[in-house]
Amino acid sequence: MSDLWPRIEPLLASVERPARYIDREWGALHIDDAEYHAALVYPDAYELGMANQAIGILYQCLAAIPGVAPERAFLPWRDMAEQMRHNDVPLFTLESCSPLSEMDLVGITLPYELTYSNILEILDLSRIPLRAADRTASDPLVIGGGPCAYNPEPVAAFFDAILIGDGEHAVGQIVSVHRAAKASGASRDEILSALARVEGVYVPSLYSTDSGSAVSLGTAPARVTKRLLDDLGMVRSPVCPVVPFMDVVHDRVTVEVLRGCSRGCRFCQAGMVYRPVRERTADTIVRDVLAGLECTGHEEVSLTSLSSADHSQLEEVLRRLSRRLEGTGVTVSLPSLRVDAFSVEIARLLGGGRKTGLTFAPEAGTQRMRDVINKNVTEEDLLGTVRKAFSAGWHRIKLYFMIGLPTETDADIEGISALVRKVQEAAKESVPPAQRGGIRIGVSVATFVPKAHTPFQWDAQITLDEVRRRQSVLRDSMPKRGVDLSWHDPEVSFLEGVMARGGREIADVIEHAWRAGACYDAWTEEFSLGRWREAFDACGVDPLSIASRVREFDEKLPWDHIQTGLSSEFLRIERERASEAITTPDCTFDECTGCGVCPTLGVDVILGGESRE
Amino acid sequence: MSEGLFRLRITYPKAGRLRFLSHLELTTACERAARRAGLPYAVTQGFNPKMKVAFGPALPVGTGSTCERFDVWLREYVPAGEALERLRSSSSVDVAPLDACYVALRAPSLAASLTIATYDVVTVGGVSVEDQQGSLDALVKAGELVVEHKGKQKVFDLASTLPKEPKVRTSNGQTVVEVTTRMGDRGSLRPESLVMAAFQRSGTGGSVLSVTRTRLAEEEDA
Repeated sequence: MSDLWPRIEPLLASVERPARYIDREWGALHIDDAEYHAALVYPDAYELGMANQAIGILYQCLAAIPGVAPERAFLPWRDMAEQMRHNDVPLFTLESCSPLSEMDLVGITLPYELTYSNILEILDLSRIPLRAADRTASDPLVIGGGPCAYNPEPVAAFFDAILIGDGEHAVGQIVSVHRAAKASGASRDEILSALARVEGVYVPSLYSTDSGSAVSLGTAPARVTKRLLDDLGMVRSPVCPVVPFMDVVHDRVTVEVLRGCSRGCRFCQAGMVYRPVRERTADTIVRDVLAGLECTGHEEVSLTSLSSADHSQLEEVLRRLSRRLEGTGVTVSLPSLRVDAFSVEIARLLGGGRKTGLTFAPEAGTQRMRDVINKNVTEEDLLGTVRKAFSAGWHRIKLYFMIGLPTETDADIEGISALVRKVQEAAKESVPPAQRGGIRIGVSVATFVPKAHTPFQWDAQITLDEVRRRQSVLRDSMPKRGVDLSWHDPEVSFLEGVMARGGREIADVIEHAWRAGACYDAWTEEFSLGRWREAFDACGVDPLSIASRVREFDEKLPWDHIQTGLSSEFLRIERERASEAITTPDCTFDECTGCGVCPTLGVDVILGGESRE
Repeated sequence: MSEGLFRLRITYPKAGRLRFLSHLELTTACERAARRAGLPYAVTQGFNPKMKVAFGPALPVGTGSTCERFDVWLREYVPAGEALERLRSSSSVDVAPLDACYVALRAPSLAASLTIATYDVVTVGGVSVEDQQGSLDALVKAGELVVEHKGKQKVFDLASTLPKEPKVRTSNGQTVVEVTTRMGDRGSLRPESLVMAAFQRSGTGGSVLSVTRTRLAEEEDA
């Protein structure tokens, strides 16, 4: 391993926030004489990557393997990347300060589609060939994984292998297969064939996509079944994670209280692909929270999941934690709240005297539209929650909505404004007259992006012109006073939509856009749709035919070879029920909905308590 | 929560790679070390209770130190030596505390009382000690220094800014300029700015390799 620190140190005087590059954080592991070095790379800035729970979990899993040194690397900010190129310094890992190209394994997270150009920037700064096909025995194994792996095709060409699903057990198996193959002198092709036999591992080079969907060329499985940790209790939440010096986005201990969500919102990819629901028990959660706080010295802990308020023992957990943390100034937070009275109670329990603001996601403005997307929230639920929150002393709430949902009409958009007006009135009625001027309603509106493995995977995303038209319908009908209306950039959503459902042809586009300067696309000031449009033109790819085209149910889809356990019949029936605005219940509260995950993957729902309320 | 009954004063360095931390990053690191050490810290009153702690004057990113200080208020007495050991084993080595002692609850705040700072500025560039000293003496004699920082000009009156004249020495084969400055409400003179200005003014080459704060003092000690 080469130590690059002497060459990095002189660069730090002239870059912003050098704490991103210096390592030495509490909890960072420096394992001398390891035989195998595995880098975990987050394809965005340090302050985002250090908030990523998967990196923390996998760091711990790798550290538990004898002879393996886990390391971290992040995309350097533009000023540092420029200095590194100018001074001929390659991208390095934090722990050993070695070039990424000297690692045995480079694992890159796929957190959201807008990081795809960053992946190329990382490989280029590391001097690792961009395409798997150009790599040789001396290059590290480059493996992807994470949320975007469920449609891996747009980035398939850049990875030797991609893990679909939970990484806790898979990562150890990948390392052990790789080590054994190297020890026996296996060629790169032989290593890849061996990896393709690991459950959940997709090796793109062993599949042809000439027919529209990926077809195994030989020994690799026809469909890659997602890896599933069937009981979260088998792996402890990281107890001594790395404690950043820098103020990162979620600077706190995180304990994942449950994985999966079966509420069944039809637009939500996470709710579809992370099934079934697996809760940790109250005892484990309390134990891991206290251990994590003691080891890190953090002042905040977050109980994370897709829907933490759904945990069957949440009240017990919060009661026990508030008793144990009394007088320490340590706060407990939940990433999201449900639209119901219980959530206001929870918020009151969490915040103590603090009433900073509450966030709820009704997603749509009319009951019909909410039934279409299976968001089981009624207007009465929302208004009741609002009354309760404002009576309890809150003066600010934020509401999340989407436009462009399937079957949406202008009446549904005006329904958002009408709902906001009712929320405003309910809020006014719930506070003393003198305080009414202080009421603020934040309304944040995103464009719906159809995702793979959801009932809306066959639907068209609305075009940019149509987004602008619908935005003006919303703007014109929205109350002008007391409402802060904000939009998620529709141009970003458009690119996200193309990446989310594109096939292997997108790889050329990503490379073209990156060569033209695309990088840090998720940062508003760095994003340029023009650069991407040129790349689509140059590569002969029509982005509208990917994002804004309705597909037939029997059309071959680029992600057909990825098996999440959901039956395609279930997705189709859900799409049909959506058309008829018929809702489907949550199987953790009600009976089985027949999504197919449990029987296909041989697993079951796990609740910490007897049942959910 | 209860008011802190004991006020523990910690002296700690900012060394090695951790000299690249900002003041905010450093203070957060100290607070987290105190929590990890399990010290029975007091918390502030109000809706948003926080550890009761106070820091000395800020250091810029890149500047090291051998003598930083913070006060933490405790609810219970812990022998100072024991508190020091617990803090040391809970801190990254480059900021591991060097000393801990109790001070009076009513003692003035670190930020208000510590107004005099001494720095070692290590220079490179092959200029002789005599030439460096000469260029610094000439600058001090000129009486005024204009420094440009982030597009703004600041004028320092050197007679009031420098309680002592800068001294050049050699130490372990390096040329070191010892600079003592008085920190004011309207911004403090960075020692490397003084040294670089002296070099430029006299036309001698040379640049600054590192800056380390070596002493923090109160006005009467100046």
